[in-house]
Amino acid sequence: MPCRAQSGHDVHWRSTMADILRIEGLTKTFRGLVANQDIAFALAPGTMRCIIGPNGAGKTTFISMISGHQRSDSGTIRFKGQDITRRSVVQRAQMGIARKFQTPSVFENLSVFQNVELAVLGTRRPAAARGARIREVLDLVRMGELADEEVNSLSHGQKQWLEIGLLIGNDAELLLLDEPTAGMTAEETHATGGLIRRLTRDLKLSAIIIEHDIHFVRDLQAPVTVLHLGRVLVEGAFAEIERNEEVRNVYLGEE
Amino acid sequence: MDALSLAVSVAMDAVLVTLVLAMAALGLALIYGLIGVINLGHGAMLTIGAYVTWATTHAGIPFAAAVILAALAVALIGLAFEHFVVRHFYDQPFETLLITWGFFMITTEVIKIIFGTTMHPVTSPVTTPLDLGIAVLPAYRVLVAGISLTLIFLVAAVFYRTGLGVQIRAVIQNREVAGLMGVNIGRMYKLVFVVGCGLAGLAGGLLAPILSVGPYMGNIYLVRSFFVVIMGGVGQILGGTIVGSFLIGGSETIFALFSSQVFAQTIVFGLAIVVLRFRPHGILNRR
Amino acid sequence: MTGAGGQPRRASLVLLKRLAGSESGIAIPVFVFLAALPLFGSGYTVFILPQYMLYGVLALSLGLFWGFAGILSFGQSAFFALGAYTIGLSMKLGWGGGIVDSGYLGLILAVTFAAALAAVVGFFLFSVGIRDTYFVIITIELSIIAQQVAITQSQITGGGNGMFIDRMALNLGPIGSYSLEGDLAIYYFVLPFPVIIYFALRWLVGSKFGKVLIGIRENEDRLLSLGLNTSLYKTAAFALSGALAGLAGALYATHASFIAPSLGGVLFSTEVVVWVAIGGRTSLLGALLGGILVAWISTYLSAITPEYWQLVLGVLFVVVIVYFKGGVAGAVSRAIRARRALALNDG
Repeated sequence: MPCRAQSGHDVHWRSTMADILRIEGLTKTFRGLVANQDIAFALAPGTMRCIIGPNGAGKTTFISMISGHQRSDSGTIRFKGQDITRRSVVQRAQMGIARKFQTPSVFENLSVFQNVELAVLGTRRPAAARGARIREVLDLVRMGELADEEVNSLSHGQKQWLEIGLLIGNDAELLLLDEPTAGMTAEETHATGGLIRRLTRDLKLSAIIIEHDIHFVRDLQAPVTVLHLGRVLVEGAFAEIERNEEVRNVYLGEE
Repeated sequence: MDALSLAVSVAMDAVLVTLVLAMAALGLALIYGLIGVINLGHGAMLTIGAYVTWATTHAGIPFAAAVILAALAVALIGLAFEHFVVRHFYDQPFETLLITWGFFMITTEVIKIIFGTTMHPVTSPVTTPLDLGIAVLPAYRVLVAGISLTLIFLVAAVFYRTGLGVQIRAVIQNREVAGLMGVNIGRMYKLVFVVGCGLAGLAGGLLAPILSVGPYMGNIYLVRSFFVVIMGGVGQILGGTIVGSFLIGGSETIFALFSSQVFAQTIVFGLAIVVLRFRPHGILNRR
Repeated sequence: MTGAGGQPRRASLVLLKRLAGSESGIAIPVFVFLAALPLFGSGYTVFILPQYMLYGVLALSLGLFWGFAGILSFGQSAFFALGAYTIGLSMKLGWGGGIVDSGYLGLILAVTFAAALAAVVGFFLFSVGIRDTYFVIITIELSIIAQQVAITQSQITGGGNGMFIDRMALNLGPIGSYSLEGDLAIYYFVLPFPVIIYFALRWLVGSKFGKVLIGIRENEDRLLSLGLNTSLYKTAAFALSGALAGLAGALYATHASFIAPSLGGVLFSTEVVVWVAIGGRTSLLGALLGGILVAWISTYLSAITPEYWQLVLGVLFVVVIVYFKGGVAGAVSRAIRARRALALNDG
């Protein structure tokens, strides 16, 4: 994968026409503060990309603009070839974009089963097929036995997995995962890596993952985009990024 | 009356109505606007203030003192209410809404039991009309309008220019950080709530000579006060209260020229809903 | 399921047990009781009960919306009054021109107008995401406006003096027309409504629509991110809620034979909220019985000690909100579950 540093100049990407997500010139300013500046981004279907960067780099804003929770000031976002820049959250979700929030957003007072059921109700699957699909999703996230448990009795890590389960149940094609391993034990983190790999490799889902846990990022062996002060600093395989002088400065400067 | 006199008269009327409404809404601007308590008992607080004023003037106490007593009485009731009930529900707007409505139900019945249901007139302290040449104004309303304006500026001054105001604003903007910086959050909330109640009681007392004192009199101002605060912009004490009051009260006066009072009110309320839909944060608030 | 001796319990017993513990287990006996009441109830009871049953339907309209979509409306009385005045006008002005019975037409129009109003207002507000507390204030507004319109448009509505309405007749076309003037006749005319509506709503709550409403109540933002257009669901639910309130209003009007603007005001809307809060908002049966019983007890005690009863009601209301969010129904179901858990442990 090409590794180019962006400094606001026009860069031509060797991305394929079949990118599931293509972003150009994405900019967002909040009352004078530039959150995202002229970002270009491309993701091939069935692949993962990790987004890392120090706090305030604009990672969550970036994800928010893909999911539709924030409107960009300028730039275009193409999903599956279609321009979705002006589409609403609901429309984008119906097209196949699903987001996992930083703090788990699930239905706390309902059961695990009912949670996934709502996700499946958001798809076009016929009523008869829903039950089987719910069980399928529950098995995928290893929650088959917890089906009747009330969600607020689950651990934080379990809720995160449930939320990922919601995304799968919703027939999402692009998963936006905002710090999926936050608050997880080392074991859970490792398992999450395995889950995400399975989703992309076996189910051909695409995923963008914001993460702070560098070990997890290394574990995933996925290409990385580094954001800093609202711009893309550098992109490439993890090994290259790890050795990159600029990246180290940016992170070291943080400490 | 020639056109100029009519125009001036209408304009003056609108101004007076605006400021009287602003007086009634000010307490809610604090309680709902600042600390987000949806006080559906606001009307009841006005009513209590009116009754206290009526009862004390009836007992021979001069009007000004009676109104101050009314403010203190409602402030005290508000303090008790806040301490024992409301402060447990600051983060639950629905519960607050229903509980304060319960406050209205209970206090209204208590008033009916103690005072009966008949309306009581209160004589206004100033009766000679104010003759300004181009228009003749009801002197008492001018007095109330003046007090209203003074109080709004006073509250705004405290809010925007004093150390206390800074603390309150800090608590509103970011509770956690304010708490970490040593601000006593509970006390700030209590203070704002109690002052808001006191202002409502004061307003009720001042309004007593204008409307007759009855068990439901304050409720006329309940929904209107909410619209004033919402339209003016939650948190905008000075400009918001005045602008909101004009939009809700002043415009009603103007519409009432062309139709009945009730119809005018309906139109204003309908328009308010429409405006709210397009600017849910109020006229003065930026998104 | 096996009993102590390893013998399989009979299926019917299992069914009976499950029924007894479920809401239907309570609902069905209640409806049977209501159906049989005229056999032993006093004449006055038979006369007045249809009104309370209709209050129950009104309470259901709020219970559906508040309990299941989680949105509080202080505007149900507006739809109730709209329904009442619609049928009133239809019968007074003879709409239908002899071709269609003006009573029936009035009923249908009552439901249609109320649903339409709710749909328009609902869409207007929900499509921009007006939520929660703003919505409450606006529905309070709606009730005020409804009452004002009823008072001011006195040429149409009779203004503050109210409107007298004929009892509609049960027009069965070729079979004939049955007068509903008799207490018994109108009693059995009204009774199927709460029963059918109750079971229809039970079904609805278990359907996709109902589940989405519950999802909206629990975490609307999550549902939006799952691709569900929540404002459409909310508008539909509000329209249904309005339709039910309008239906209740129309039937009430023809039963009571007299309606007044106070039916549309804030105070009546609040009563509905009180009924549902006390009865139990997350249970349809709780809402229904709250409407029937609280209203009935209220009217009865109000006649005896008006101020003190209202005071008690106010205190009860606050106590319910603070301590018993689920109302009586919630407390009862918790008690049943606790007993069941104990029984299982003893097992």
